[in-house]
Amino acid sequence: MRASLPTGAKPFDFTGTAKEWFGIWIVNLLLSIVTLGIYSAWAKVRSKKYFYNHTYVEGRNFDYHATGKQILIGRLIVIAAVIVFNVITAALPILGLLLLLGLLFIFPWLIVRSMIFNARMSSFSNVRFGFVGTVGQAFLTFIAYPILTALTLYTTFPILDRAIKRFSIDNHKLGQARFNMEVGLGPFYKAFFVAIAWVLVVGVIGAVVTGFNFAEFADAMDNADRAPAQAMKVMSLFYLLFFVAFLPAVFIYQALIRNAVYNNTTLEGGHRFASNVTAPKLLWLAVSNTVVVVFTLLLMLPWAQVRMARYLAAHTGFIPGGSMDDFVTQQQEAGGAFGDAYTDLEGIDIGLPI
Amino acid sequence: MGDAPQLPGLRGHAYAARSSFRQPARLITREGGEGLWVDIQNDERAVLGSAHLSELRIDPPLGSAPRKVTFPDGAVFETNDHSAIEALTGRTRGSVLHHYEGFKPRLFGVVAVCLAAAWVLWRYGLDIMASIAIVFTPPAVIEQIDAGSMQTIDFTMAAPSQLSDAQKADVEKVYRRLVRSLPQDVQNKHSFDLLFRDVPGMGPNAFALPGGTMVMTDAFVKEFPEPDVMAGVLGHEIGHVVEEHGLKRLYRSLSTYILIAFLAGDVGPILEDIVLEGNVLLSLSFSRAQESAADEYGLALSNEAGFDPAGLKVFFEKLSEKYGDQQPAQWTSTHPSSAERVKAIDAFIDGL
Repeated sequence: MRASLPTGAKPFDFTGTAKEWFGIWIVNLLLSIVTLGIYSAWAKVRSKKYFYNHTYVEGRNFDYHATGKQILIGRLIVIAAVIVFNVITAALPILGLLLLLGLLFIFPWLIVRSMIFNARMSSFSNVRFGFVGTVGQAFLTFIAYPILTALTLYTTFPILDRAIKRFSIDNHKLGQARFNMEVGLGPFYKAFFVAIAWVLVVGVIGAVVTGFNFAEFADAMDNADRAPAQAMKVMSLFYLLFFVAFLPAVFIYQALIRNAVYNNTTLEGGHRFASNVTAPKLLWLAVSNTVVVVFTLLLMLPWAQVRMARYLAAHTGFIPGGSMDDFVTQQQEAGGAFGDAYTDLEGIDIGLPI
Repeated sequence: MGDAPQLPGLRGHAYAARSSFRQPARLITREGGEGLWVDIQNDERAVLGSAHLSELRIDPPLGSAPRKVTFPDGAVFETNDHSAIEALTGRTRGSVLHHYEGFKPRLFGVVAVCLAAAWVLWRYGLDIMASIAIVFTPPAVIEQIDAGSMQTIDFTMAAPSQLSDAQKADVEKVYRRLVRSLPQDVQNKHSFDLLFRDVPGMGPNAFALPGGTMVMTDAFVKEFPEPDVMAGVLGHEIGHVVEEHGLKRLYRSLSTYILIAFLAGDVGPILEDIVLEGNVLLSLSFSRAQESAADEYGLALSNEAGFDPAGLKVFFEKLSEKYGDQQPAQWTSTHPSSAERVKAIDAFIDGL
């Protein structure tokens, strides 16, 4: 892993501060609570705008243009749909099942709407982003491939992951300039195997050191009613091993993939990107952030978010291949915000990985 | 507007409409027509944009982010000179918000109010929202929820009852006596059907659906044929129906889920799971409170109908006997522990 960004790369710069963001965040939260969530639409815009506005490349920043009203309307539509869906599932289980099946096909459409909306509402250096992915592509990427991946017992997970990244990056544009990601399957499988190797090695060492075995674990689970103390002990051991073996593996994978993706992504006009995050640092940030936030009853969350944004920005680079003055916004309709509201509700995040 | 400050030039950068072309520029004001004209001028003194002050779209202030002014033709001027732009535009949309967001000691007040408001919302607000939602739920839908749930239960876990008609009639007699002790308007509001099912996975149990459908397992009738015990348990379930616990729980969990998704926003890795788990633990305490409330309601009801309220105690004592002290810790459970409930029943009987 490279210690520094390649020469010629201009690092992204996040200039937000924890103090400033805390004030905005807590006021957002207060207004959202006293309005029973209605203000959360405006709060979302303000949060997103804060992080976009304070992210710079070469002295130019990002901006977010959606209005609270757009977001609120989108959310109301989605909430109404969720309530109707829940009532139907409870009242008419068979119709509910059919609706669930229908959702399988609406889901890709919602994702595409969400990505179009978000891209169109984001700008860099006064030029809007765009998204040109189709519902068909989204269906393949988010429904068909995951089913095939499950059928291969997740051995093809790297192929799926690459498809998702490709769908997101290759379909994004800045003005009229297309983004393009050229990564072979090699780096994806390498990251996958390194992560699995970590799980196996640490898991085996951990099991040997602590004397954990699955037969005992299953036995304790079956008898949890009669011997809760024993079950509790085995459970905590299991969680400990889980954290030590799986959590770092997730960050190893993410760091390797992020670097591979950025280092092989171009923007039409000869521009390139770079990334040199490391797994230990990402893991440290995530774990220490979590501990601090939990022990301060969420009050340090803004600090944690700024800390993460700073690290990611500083380890992401832009390698200009020419003037940055030549991007031009293309006129496009953004559509409604209900796709965005849906992905918010479901916690799906596949926007531009800035 | 005549006395607006004459700025010698507010330095910043300009963008042409819809273009990333960026150049150093100044914002210059001059008197013109009915108000103040604002020009963007670059270093070569070429005018890049020009409009009345009132026609400009000025983005609200946000932290220390550059202030942005958009001209009607789409040209954009951006500056970090916050005080100068405020002098030019005066108070704009969002100024008050920006003022209160400042990192000053009064933010402690905001934090305190926020925590208090969050607590009030969780403790009372969600219940009020759920109650409003219940009022707006058509009775036909609630009845249909019962029918739908019975379909699912019959399909997945229940078999037809093996009880004799005499056994059923005994239970029915106890049940009707309880229902008749309810106020008339409450009797009319819910269906109060009593169904019998053989549910091997459930043991001796009874449960109520939101619309008032009551289900009793065969195992219960066989193990607890005493009318007082039956009245205690059925009274408890009637309590759930009358106080609309099922619907409240449905709406409450739905609204917390939506609120958390929209309020918390992107909290980052790991934390997201912690927030969701925390919500589950909190909702368990809500469920335990419902059980205690239903116990209380059932005790009062069976007492009113002329049964011995100690009947419910017999039920819990027998359960405790069977499962001993091996119950899971209170905070991880949907129901209060049997010991806890027996204590509460004793307190109720003492209070009679």
